[in-house]
Amino acid sequence: MRNILTIALHTVKLEIRDRVWIALLAFALGYVGLMLFLSQLVLRELPMVNAFALLGVYFFNVIIAIFLGTTLFYRDVERKTVYFVLAKPVSRREFLLGKFFGLCAAVFLTSAVLAGAYLIVIAAAGGGFGALGLLAILMQFLEMSLFIAFAIFVSTFSSSLLSVMYTSAVFFLGYLVSSLVSDARRAGITGIRYILVNVLYYAFPNLAKFNIRDIGVHYVADPWLSFGLAFAYAAAYIILLLFAAIWIFEKKEI
Amino acid sequence: MLSLSHVTKVYGKRKKRRLAVDDFSLDIETPVFGFLGQNGAGKTTIIKMITGLLAATSGTILMDGVPSESAASKRRMGFMPETPYFYERMTGLEFMRFCAQLFPKNSRTDDELGRFLKRAGIYEARNYEIRTYSKGMRQRLGFAQSLVNDPDYLFLDEPLDGLDPIGRHDLKQSMLALKAEGRKIFLNTHILYDVEEVCDEVGVIHEGKLLYAGPVANFCNGRPLEERFVATVQEYEQKKAKEQ
Repeated sequence: MRNILTIALHTVKLEIRDRVWIALLAFALGYVGLMLFLSQLVLRELPMVNAFALLGVYFFNVIIAIFLGTTLFYRDVERKTVYFVLAKPVSRREFLLGKFFGLCAAVFLTSAVLAGAYLIVIAAAGGGFGALGLLAILMQFLEMSLFIAFAIFVSTFSSSLLSVMYTSAVFFLGYLVSSLVSDARRAGITGIRYILVNVLYYAFPNLAKFNIRDIGVHYVADPWLSFGLAFAYAAAYIILLLFAAIWIFEKKEI
Repeated sequence: MLSLSHVTKVYGKRKKRRLAVDDFSLDIETPVFGFLGQNGAGKTTIIKMITGLLAATSGTILMDGVPSESAASKRRMGFMPETPYFYERMTGLEFMRFCAQLFPKNSRTDDELGRFLKRAGIYEARNYEIRTYSKGMRQRLGFAQSLVNDPDYLFLDEPLDGLDPIGRHDLKQSMLALKAEGRKIFLNTHILYDVEEVCDEVGVIHEGKLLYAGPVANFCNGRPLEERFVATVQEYEQKKAKEQ
């Protein structure tokens, strides 16, 4: 546990010094700032400001999570910096988990900064303390943790570029699969094709479960229940991905 | 004592199968042991198996009777990889702190870490980011981090590569000082001149096979080390050709 914590803290420290992370965070803050400006001019209704600001926070969080998840772990293994760590009394499992928690902490830090900016925008647009908006950002963080787990899993057996492609594909498929089964039923698909649709549905994470960004625009029934379910779903998925990643990494010749 | 018994390492599977280390057995008790071999001879593979970075396909490696890849053995060893890559945005001192924290019950103060940096001759640059370091400075930092746990066994993979004459001299002096403190050093190198100065015994490896292991003086037998090394490898190649 101590080693996991040491590696996680080290990862966060490295990440917040990374120029790409700093640049992305600056862009994200710039975007949320733009929302502040637009809210005075075009987006006069609070729900619209809310939706656009949350979308911006989400978009930059996705980019940061995919970038961090696919590069950091792979880079350590590829550049052999991992030798310094694994030649010490640290297991591969501890290294991988330390990287995962460190990356999650870095993304959480990003989310916290962006959440602060989001609250300022909402307050400036005439809204009060946006508790549901914060809940939406928290659910985004769960989604990002899942991305990171997936990115690390893929990084254990593929290159950095391929990991970006796989993780991006999961991002798009993750939103497609949510309605895949019902769409297939409606279209009257049966037999092997229906089984294939079901395989896709269960193989890829259903990212729609984490999306309550439309709370400002549409009614969302019991957002706290949505959060509870999303949390359980993310935890189960992450545990499975990390188990698989550890299994592969322990066999990998570095 | 470091004991390698019938160690074999095969990379890849089926058609891509490559034998890197072939039924390798060796007991090392001497204070400074130098491992000699051409590039690709299997030296790094062996040092990686000893330090637990690679799993042997078969055979056992024991450090004082304990498997070398175990956490108990790793607590007693230091390792410096070949051409080390670091976390570029960290300073030398921060990197040393990180390495020290990976050992249980090892709360080193900055002064103590400074002592290791001084020994490696990199103390003055401790607060600079590693990305500003030259190759020689990186080698020195790689050496310094291998000392953070006061190891009984030190495994150095091409530690003198890329160092200028002063750097090589300093590092060799440090190795001799560590030897005087009773630590055991296992050195991979292809710079034969340095081996004669530092090592008590050498092992010659070629195509994953051990061709010689024993005192440097016995190996040289009054001739230059380089000449003996080349002759040993050529004798092996001729013998192999005849057998085929």
